[in-house]
Amino acid sequence: MHINCLWTTWPTLSRIYSYSMSIPGAPTAKEKKYDRQLRLWGAAGQEALENAHILLVNATAAGTETLKNLVLPGIGRFTIIDDAVVKDEDLGTNFFLDDNSIGLSRAQKTCELLCELNPDVQGDHIKDNITNFIHTNPEKLKTFTTVIITGDVPISTLLSLDNLLYTLDIPLFVLKCVGFTMTCRLALSEHAIVETHPDSTVDLRLLKPFPELVALYEEKAAIMDDKEKMSEHDHGHIPYVVILLKALDDWRSTHGGNIPSNYREKNEFKSFLRGKMWNADEENFEEAIAAVLPYFNPPSIASTTKEIFEDKKCTQLTATSSNFWIIARAIKNFAYDDNEGILPLPGALPDMKAESKDYIRLQNVYKAKARADLASVMEIVRVLLSGLGRDPNSISESDVETFCKHAGFARLTRVRSLNEEYEHNPKVKTVSNELSDPTSLMHYYLGIRAYEMFISEESNSKHTPPGIDDSTAENDAEQLDQYVTVILDKLNIAHSPELLEGTSKAVREIVRVGGGELHNISSLAGGLVAQEIIKVITKQYIPMNNTVIFDGISSRSQVYEL
Amino acid sequence: MATATVLGAESPDRWRYLNNILNRKGPYTDEAFTPGDEPKAFLADAKILVIGAGGLGCEILKNLALSGFKDIHVIDMDTIDISNLNRQFLFREADVGKSKAEVAAAFVMKRVRGVTITPFNCAIQDKDDEYYKQFKIVVCGLDSVEARRWMNATLINLVDDETLIPLIDGGTEGFKGQARVILPTISSCYECSLDMHTPRAAVPLCTLASIPRQPAHCIEWASVIQWPKEKGDLKLDTDDPEHITWLFTKALERAKEFNIPGVTYSMTQGVVKNIIPAIASTNAIVAASCCNEALKIATTAAPYLDNYMMYTGNESIYTYTFTHEKKENCPVCGNLPQNLEVNPEWTLEGLMERLQERPETTLRKPSLRTSSKSLYLQAPKQLEEQTRPNLEKKLKELMETGDELSISDPGMPFNLRFIITMSE
Ligand SMILES: [Zn+2]
Repeated sequence: MHINCLWTTWPTLSRIYSYSMSIPGAPTAKEKKYDRQLRLWGAAGQEALENAHILLVNATAAGTETLKNLVLPGIGRFTIIDDAVVKDEDLGTNFFLDDNSIGLSRAQKTCELLCELNPDVQGDHIKDNITNFIHTNPEKLKTFTTVIITGDVPISTLLSLDNLLYTLDIPLFVLKCVGFTMTCRLALSEHAIVETHPDSTVDLRLLKPFPELVALYEEKAAIMDDKEKMSEHDHGHIPYVVILLKALDDWRSTHGGNIPSNYREKNEFKSFLRGKMWNADEENFEEAIAAVLPYFNPPSIASTTKEIFEDKKCTQLTATSSNFWIIARAIKNFAYDDNEGILPLPGALPDMKAESKDYIRLQNVYKAKARADLASVMEIVRVLLSGLGRDPNSISESDVETFCKHAGFARLTRVRSLNEEYEHNPKVKTVSNELSDPTSLMHYYLGIRAYEMFISEESNSKHTPPGIDDSTAENDAEQLDQYVTVILDKLNIAHSPELLEGTSKAVREIVRVGGGELHNISSLAGGLVAQEIIKVITKQYIPMNNTVIFDGISSRSQVYEL
Repeated sequence: MATATVLGAESPDRWRYLNNILNRKGPYTDEAFTPGDEPKAFLADAKILVIGAGGLGCEILKNLALSGFKDIHVIDMDTIDISNLNRQFLFREADVGKSKAEVAAAFVMKRVRGVTITPFNCAIQDKDDEYYKQFKIVVCGLDSVEARRWMNATLINLVDDETLIPLIDGGTEGFKGQARVILPTISSCYECSLDMHTPRAAVPLCTLASIPRQPAHCIEWASVIQWPKEKGDLKLDTDDPEHITWLFTKALERAKEFNIPGVTYSMTQGVVKNIIPAIASTNAIVAASCCNEALKIATTAAPYLDNYMMYTGNESIYTYTFTHEKKENCPVCGNLPQNLEVNPEWTLEGLMERLQERPETTLRKPSLRTSSKSLYLQAPKQLEEQTRPNLEKKLKELMETGDELSISDPGMPFNLRFIITMSE
């Protein structure tokens, strides 16, 4: 009522209101601001980001750049822990400090300038060092969604932090930027992803059509090759799915009931299709021919999905099982108990040359089948929940639907802990296989490990990095060479000076910069790490497993599982 | 410790780490590298130009300022939009509507002491050769193929005995991106790799007009067919929410008529504005890689990229670094005209239509000449009228095998050259 009065009085206002209020689906202010990213991870992904609380240990350039790339897309909250005061050299690498920051707390100043980027984000700081913090406040770590640690932190602290976080299921990113070199290690005990964002989820079921699909194509099949009964126009608008199903039927009848299975037969089948064209420019037949290779596969379950089905958490549900495992189990039961080992139909249909009504009808057939499969899975979910003594309606249909659509593409990743890599179970082969290649980025990995040992040395109580003075740089480099041999000896990897030529160069490049960051490399690292954090938090897309190394000299990266 | 005379003006420690790599040779440094004052002086004196102050541009300006460059120019004709704020970190809500170049330059100058950034709120085409000649390096952070082609061709045209300006180009789309170094006439240029970009397949008009199947078909119908039909001469402004709302409503009606589900406001915007997803992290990666190359080229402190790095982040992290080969017959950096087979029965207009369909030619208003005569000229008006009758003529009346056909277009800063072969 009131608004109506306003409308007649101020027409300009009514124009604004009618735009933002009466048009269903018009974007909110938040949707406008985040439009370009919502197109990548959607509202659910955004919500996950907004509920996250990130801890950054040490406000280095790489650390603040990482936070910048998380504050901008609207992470809920971040905390910086750092006991350093801002020095002049920080200003030469860190954009989130200025002349007025010198001599003040680095945690506080970077926090202030980062908060300016986005009023939706809450930032806090703690003036402490992490070694002390995990002794005095270990329980506080539970409040964080993800932890990033950068800067010159002794190995013992890294390993304690990894121990604490790994058992809490909190992802830990260990980020190192020294000169032109960057490494980042992710440790995360378990990560299950439903929305991996494959290029396509289309499954046309051409080789195993379900009854509704068979019924639809049989209608057309009878007249398809008959020029008396079908006009040229109609023939040029038969959806290629129907063309393929009919052609397959014809093929089977002359090939002992078999389908074209190998490459040669598929090519013959394409010629067979071409022979069915009435004239050379029937696009729908061209589309059918192009669809033979991608869509002529019998339904099967990807090994990555089988891994999920065979996992103990899937086979042995408990009252505290997460929704992921319950839905996974329901889908497994659906496929193996009721559906000949076939996953629920995702239901997507690509565009194809067709009359509107024929296409929509075909689309509805796929959608109806997907909905029916979803209903069956939903029913199993309810039964499972009841059996576990939980509310049978506690898992939403939309979560089950998302899983059904992505069942063939879901992933379960277990990322090894840092303690496994450094102490109990190192990946010896991965390291030794790379050493003989002088261009391998594994040399930088060893260089950074040696760098860590240098700053962790008991006699180096201030964690002074190698190479701070021109005069002692080569001595420091030789010390790092020594540490490299210690690491390799511990791994039982045989080495020789020739084999370590690449490592020796990497060491000298690392020492060259004197323990500092170069802004470009730290900025690049901030981009890479923020992206991995977004993937982990949103549980969308596939994160790296588990170490990425970037070399700014050759502009190359490599991911190793270590 | 050796302290830079030029870089250390603010404080001897501020550029300590950058100075370390300029004062010390590394294991991969080129023989010709002289550590010390020479690379520092170059950094301090070199003028560097940044094209674009958007997602990549903001990052590039920050990175160059923190790489020790002191004299930076930036060109961008855009103003700040609310949807930029999720990644263009030099802008705030209060800046919406202001010039990107000006706001970005002012911000970085305020934050990083000692750097001068000169902004230009104009199109790159507004600047002449003399202007571009003053720069040692150009870094491009653009989202438009056309602007990149123009910049690429301009820098290649500038090459002479004294001038060779490296072009460092970055591009992103969602979780993907690339950074590359172009040494004009020496390494592969932007035009050489144009076929790597596959243009989005256009939907046939008849699908839009009579057999829509997808929500996007309904949206395109609204913008391509219904807008001109109902709105006459009023130009569609895809930034005007009222226009988008109109298209959305029309598309929705059409979708309802054909039972097509899925038309949303957001999709309407995406289709008509051809929106490419964009996030801070990908921009950071690509921009940093570009600026790392700029620093290496300017100082020779380490070898630079030869010449292309592709990056994908949606599944793990993947980069592919390789040398993109120069194209022999590149219309911009090559010197040979390409061969073009034509049917003598085609009309000149038919030839123009076919040329417009080729991916490497983004022609809008082409003018065509052979070495002996003007076939069709778009301007001036008088010549257009004079040459217009040629459009109807068959090619066999206008040219013969071996003729060189030259095509100019306002969208391209260079001429396309073809050697004609007539074939049935
Ligand atoms: Zn070229």
